[in-house]
Amino acid sequence: MAMTLTIERVMAFMGLDVLVARDEGLFAAEGLDLRIVALPSEEFRSAAEGSPAKPITNQGKLQARGEAQMFQA
Amino acid sequence: MAASSVGARQVGRRATIVCGALVVAPESPVFTPQELAHQRVALDYGNGTAYAGLQMLEGAMPREAVTTCAAATSPAERFAGLMRGEFAATVLQEPWITVAEKAGCRLVATTFFHGTWVATREVSPAAYAALLRAITKAVHRINADKRRYVSYFLRDWAGHPEVDALTPDDFNLGRIQVKEPGPIPEHEARWAWDWMASWGLIDGTFDIAAQIDRRLERDAHELAAAGRET
Repeated sequence: MAMTLTIERVMAFMGLDVLVARDEGLFAAEGLDLRIVALPSEEFRSAAEGSPAKPITNQGKLQARGEAQMFQA
Repeated sequence: MAASSVGARQVGRRATIVCGALVVAPESPVFTPQELAHQRVALDYGNGTAYAGLQMLEGAMPREAVTTCAAATSPAERFAGLMRGEFAATVLQEPWITVAEKAGCRLVATTFFHGTWVATREVSPAAYAALLRAITKAVHRINADKRRYVSYFLRDWAGHPEVDALTPDDFNLGRIQVKEPGPIPEHEARWAWDWMASWGLIDGTFDIAAQIDRRLERDAHELAAAGRET
């Protein structure tokens, strides 16, 4: 039975390896069902709303509410 | 990163190393990072590109001369703001560095940063090891033919005319770096914490156990290595 892992969305600039591994079937070959989930656009907040002391980041939001198990920081 | 409410901690370095470039507009009188002293540099606070920006600036001027303003998370919006003259400089990542160069912008500094994976307690060493093995194979494929894979940078921003106009040959492959994922060296984690604290970006003292799940990190990397040997 395949293992399942859900991660937050990555983009090429910080997760090219993940996207290539997904598209070329490398996770499946390792018995891993890797699922990539994205934050709904209406929940996305821009860093422009933040300040150095109170920054806005969208990383980890899905993990914090139990919808992803891993994300990139 | 601060401790997570769901017990998430860092569990290793990721494979893709990000290039961040400090960019000025084509008509800017600025040619060196030093010339950005007391000039507004737009940063997406809370993201790696913003920290990279601070590091590029502080290496060129006293900290009190570093002047920043909040910028959008989207590099497309930061690039557009730069071209409209809303600030003196910003930090971009690919493919927007290449877009900026093609538009005549100048890179006055570049740097690289290496982020981490964060995982909850639910992640098993076996699942994380499988992820690491797959990623390691991807790293080898990318390094064998980087040009083949730059299309991923275009795909992320399809529909943006500036990106759609790029071809794979436009990219500087030296800015695309991947390496096999590995554990986080403690001295690097400690330095990063202390550096962020020095800027007032986080509070408290560094606690390795709160920051890194060494058990999961070790077990998964050992399993991944064993799997590669068989």
